[in-house]
Amino acid sequence: MSNWLRYLFLFIVMVLLQVTIGNDIHLFGVAIPFFYIYFILRLPLSLSINWTLTLAFVLGLTIDIFSNTPGMNALACVVMAALRKPVLNLYTPRGEDYAEAIPSIRSFGMSLYVRYLLTLSLCFCVVLFLVESLSLLNVGRLILRVVASTALTFLVVLGMDSLTKTGREKRL
Amino acid sequence: MRNLIDFLWRHSSWIVFAFYVVLSCVLLFGRNPYQRSVYFSSANRVAVVVYDLQSEVTSYLGLRQANRDLQLRNGELEMEVVNLKEQLNSYRAAAGKDTIPADSVLHDYDFVVARVVNNSVAQTNNYITIDKGRAEGIEPEMGVVDQNGVVGIINVVGEHHAVAISVLNPKLRLSCKVKGSDYFGSLVWDAVSPRYAVLEEMPRHVEFAPGDTIVTSGYSSVFPEGLMIGVISDYKKQRDDNFYALRVKLSTDFSCLGYVRIISNRMKEEQDQLEKEARYE
Repeated sequence: MSNWLRYLFLFIVMVLLQVTIGNDIHLFGVAIPFFYIYFILRLPLSLSINWTLTLAFVLGLTIDIFSNTPGMNALACVVMAALRKPVLNLYTPRGEDYAEAIPSIRSFGMSLYVRYLLTLSLCFCVVLFLVESLSLLNVGRLILRVVASTALTFLVVLGMDSLTKTGREKRL
Repeated sequence: MRNLIDFLWRHSSWIVFAFYVVLSCVLLFGRNPYQRSVYFSSANRVAVVVYDLQSEVTSYLGLRQANRDLQLRNGELEMEVVNLKEQLNSYRAAAGKDTIPADSVLHDYDFVVARVVNNSVAQTNNYITIDKGRAEGIEPEMGVVDQNGVVGIINVVGEHHAVAISVLNPKLRLSCKVKGSDYFGSLVWDAVSPRYAVLEEMPRHVEFAPGDTIVTSGYSSVFPEGLMIGVISDYKKQRDDNFYALRVKLSTDFSCLGYVRIISNRMKEEQDQLEKEARYE
């Protein structure tokens, strides 16, 4: 139960931070940090895929409603949530068992977590900006936006995860 | 039957995935931006609470700049009033009349002042949320301007809030012209920089130079004629060679919008009705 509450709290905080701060950041005119995907990245791997997809859709749609882009973030979130386990399997071929883990630097180790985070935020940004560019295609700018936003999202989420890690340790 | 249920159950994650993807795509492509429901926009009840709070905090930022812009604009308008008064007096003297009937066009427009509670420049499709809605007389397709120039057009209206499509949105095309000439083109944002937009379909024989002012044409019922949009910074030939594409430096600073005015046109309904009839004749 307390786990549910913790995730509900994380959901609300992520949405509020993203719509009040994240969406206003526009580094060098190209990079937007989509750090709210941290909520999906952090869902426990033991959670059934159907629940993960549902939560991802609801989260994406909430962000969409705030930023007047119905369906755009929802689609990118759902695709990213579906790719979570395939990506992890890709990077753990020796059969290391993370089936019960909550993805974080502490549980995964730095190197695996960096690859997990970087791949998934790249997938998210590719889908999001592809959908966005349907109304106006500019390939050079599209690639620039994808790369820059992936990098910025990666850095911010990595920072957030190391923050929550110290918080957890203090509580224990 | 049992096998079928077993099959569906085993592949339920694929079905759930497909369901959400289809649902997202329906939301993405299903509606035209003008027909969107207010619940799926930032003018819904929860979103406006968040954005109102945010704007309570951030509206104090950038006031110095806004104040300077207003002073400048005020000065310009004062000069214009003085000039017009002088002209009016000279015409009066020439015509030997005490009163000259004012142009009735000027009485057709009215405005409401609103505060911008949310605004983006980072997306490809940008929208602006304002704190006035149906209760204050705002309707879809009204024009939005600030002290520096044109801002956008109202799109979705809630009870006390509304969402406007920003000029920084490729879905919006504005009919505008070079000040002093009657040739018009359409202004559209190319999603590159929030400071520049492109004025397309300008006939090649129109005379203009970089630095010339671009204003609204007044051909649509949304904006009156002559509202400031920006100045020409650069131009090049379009693909078909008969038209120029002008790069326009927008006079509105979209990254710090504070207060805006929403323009209502009393004759809009009549004009739209007439244009619709003419199209279907």
